[in-house]
Amino acid sequence: MAAWVKGGATDADAAVEAAATLLASARTPIVAGLCAELSAVRAAYHLADLIGASVDPVAGPALYAELGPLSRTGAMLTTPAETLGRADAVLIVGNAPWERAIVQEIAESVPTRGRAAGAERTLLSLGGTRNGATRHVAYPAEADGLAVSVAHLRAYLKGHLSGETAYGDLAKRLSSAQYGVVLYDPEELGELGVEMLQGMVKDLNEVTRFFALSVSDPYQGRALLQLSAWTTGQAPRVGFGRHVPEHDPWRFDSARQIAAGEADAALWLASLPAPRPDWLGTLPSIAIVGEGSPEATGDAAEIVIAVGVPGESAGGSVWNDRRATITYAPASGQATALTAAGVLAAIQDRLVQKKGASC
Amino acid sequence: MLIRIQGGRVVDPTAGRDAVGDVWVESGRIVAASERTPDRTIDATGCVVMAGGVEVHSHIAGGNVVMSRLLLPELYTSEAAPEGHPFAHAGGSAAWIGANYARMGYTVAVEPAMPPANALATQLELADIPLLDRGALTVMGNDDQLLQLLRQREGKAAVRDLVALSVATSRGLGVKCINAGGASAFKDGMLKLSLDEEIPVYGLSTRKIMTALLDAVEEIGVPHPLHVHCNNLGIPGADESFVDTLEAAEGRRIHFAHAQFYAYGVTDPENPATGGFRSAAERITEAMEKHPNATFDVGQVAFGQTVTISLDILRQFAGRKGANPKKWIVTAGDAEGGGVVPFLYKPRGAVSSLQWAIGLELMLLSKEPERTILTTDHPNGGPFTDYPHIIHLLMDKEKRDREIAGLHKVIGERSGLCAIEREYTFSEIAQLTRSGPAKLLGLTDRGHLREGARADVAIYRDDRDRTAMFARAKLVLKDGVTIVEDGEVVAWRSGHTLELNVESDKAMVARSETYLQDRYGAGLESFSVPDEAFPKADVFEEVACLS
Repeated sequence: MAAWVKGGATDADAAVEAAATLLASARTPIVAGLCAELSAVRAAYHLADLIGASVDPVAGPALYAELGPLSRTGAMLTTPAETLGRADAVLIVGNAPWERAIVQEIAESVPTRGRAAGAERTLLSLGGTRNGATRHVAYPAEADGLAVSVAHLRAYLKGHLSGETAYGDLAKRLSSAQYGVVLYDPEELGELGVEMLQGMVKDLNEVTRFFALSVSDPYQGRALLQLSAWTTGQAPRVGFGRHVPEHDPWRFDSARQIAAGEADAALWLASLPAPRPDWLGTLPSIAIVGEGSPEATGDAAEIVIAVGVPGESAGGSVWNDRRATITYAPASGQATALTAAGVLAAIQDRLVQKKGASC
Repeated sequence: MLIRIQGGRVVDPTAGRDAVGDVWVESGRIVAASERTPDRTIDATGCVVMAGGVEVHSHIAGGNVVMSRLLLPELYTSEAAPEGHPFAHAGGSAAWIGANYARMGYTVAVEPAMPPANALATQLELADIPLLDRGALTVMGNDDQLLQLLRQREGKAAVRDLVALSVATSRGLGVKCINAGGASAFKDGMLKLSLDEEIPVYGLSTRKIMTALLDAVEEIGVPHPLHVHCNNLGIPGADESFVDTLEAAEGRRIHFAHAQFYAYGVTDPENPATGGFRSAAERITEAMEKHPNATFDVGQVAFGQTVTISLDILRQFAGRKGANPKKWIVTAGDAEGGGVVPFLYKPRGAVSSLQWAIGLELMLLSKEPERTILTTDHPNGGPFTDYPHIIHLLMDKEKRDREIAGLHKVIGERSGLCAIEREYTFSEIAQLTRSGPAKLLGLTDRGHLREGARADVAIYRDDRDRTAMFARAKLVLKDGVTIVEDGEVVAWRSGHTLELNVESDKAMVARSETYLQDRYGAGLESFSVPDEAFPKADVFEEVACLS
């Protein structure tokens, strides 16, 4: 176990004390990252409320590419297991999904449940990489990008555009699916693209069953989104400056806040791997990071505390990509004494003591 | 600590008690009157003393509740938090739910729709609801593993073992089926399903699936009867589905969810789909009287904006056309999935007015309030915070008439509500909200104030304005500890999540492990709800099966 204050190695108690002192003097702190097990994320929200911080997960860009369209129009969704078990047609939009293991699983299996059971599975791509290793029918994206391509495809499906074109052909394939799925990465497709894609899926359901499956962000966004919703009634980017959760995805974008000079302290929580933000060393900050990670060094932030990594040196509830739900990952090795949730709770306790002492 | 609640009107229909008297509490339990000097005396003069309220059907946790918050974030407003709990005034949050139930004198609430595939997330959310004891019903009836067993005619023992394993793994309190087979049928292209229609691929019907689950629940000895959401919710002629399902139970214990949404008789038999509906409350009431094995909760409508949440994706997909505002979510999940559709109950609208009237009619016609549980199917019919207003309407004919006068005239034309003179008594309200739901859930030490009961007690100032009276309890004890005073939470504590103590068959464990690994690439462990997943210890409390 390791902890550092201003580059010098110290024990956890001293680091917690220093973190509490730093946060106690902050006027507009931010709590960011939140790439961690749920108990730690929960503790982070409680701490944020106590100190009047704003909260912004590293998964924010991926989450908000979906959350905007979701709150404007809704969605028709399915799961990886239903896709693998039922889908006779899968359309992969863009390049990013090809990096995910599920594409290979989709390519190597056939539907085994439902009315399409036993049928061939057609793998289609729109604006993808023309991945030669996986057999599929490729349709190029238009020059204006993926979102416009999806819009044109939707127009063919609705009959607003017609003709013997590639997109006309793709539209026919989608309409004839018995259980179709479109796989996409929301961050790559963008807000408008996601909204158009969900509209297309809803249109398809006037004639068949068709659903959307978006690839999860790799930073626990899907798990913390649920916790945020049940804890604050809102999506993750909230501010507690007035001690009531105020949701504002623009205002509480941590990168924007720091660039604008609005934040005077930061707590970075990443017990699981997450890209270190370039602002971490630029303002008084605390990093609670997984032990053994590149950030677990004295120079990552003013105060650094290394904690157990869920699934490795700590147990924790985390997002299970294949199951598309929250599952518990026990420690696979020797559990460490210090957990992220424990550290956050200790900081909170010290802050409460300090508040009490100052009254 | 010995507590004497002194001089209140004690209402406990299970003991035939409705008179001024005392209630004694010690060590978290109701005790006999004591000769000893109490450590604390609570003056309940001018108050009504009841057991804590028990909620059997309220969508308070789970993936679809989360989705509803994201789809319609404007539904609730957040206010500045008071000292105490940081999130209790965050509208729609888990803490808000706990606080608002507690303020009304409720001490137990059950989430009726927990898919086993999403059990851990649901249980984590439930555990964050403060003040109350809570529980969840494990949903079955559309999952491929069960449907395969039935298709292969594997027999009652296999179904029983799978149901028991699912309840044990998800740590549920009971079992629910939601339009059994409907989600599967929807995924395979169907848009409507009745009790005996064939479900594609499996060659089953809702009747066959539900009957198998009814048998399994009896064999396991689940205290709560199978909780059934029938086919054809909310459409004219849904009363047929209700009565057919009631008869299909063939005397076995069965609980019907949100009966109001089924009490819709066809107005024009020649044009059932387009002729509209009329109240079938009398028909449902008569059918219930003939079937003492059955209970229902009401699903009363409250006017205003809400968001409907259901695992009945077949119905929710159909309901998308009525979404207000025009946005909706349907998820084809690993079994049921879920549908989230916003809806506005308009007080001047004919349909909403009639729905409102039918719910009240069902309660006012019932000769046995203990078998008629007050719910709004939160948030489907409206928020649970409308209970005090609904109680007011039940207890006060004048109030009812005043409200009817401001609503659509269809109430007089297509329901019998206007002619009903009945006013509920306090005892009947206690049956509707306390003793009835507690019995229904098999919680023998709740819902009453007899010796040995859990000291969950609600004290209300007796006020002719029943809305005000039941909205803010004067005092609420949970396990003998004061949690609410004058309608405000004074002690934030955690209750327990009630789980059924049920054993799993080892052979079914092995079989399910193989099935799940094949389907999900992960076994039973990934469906489990381990104690270590919770940020606090001592989350769960066991409820015994019937012997």
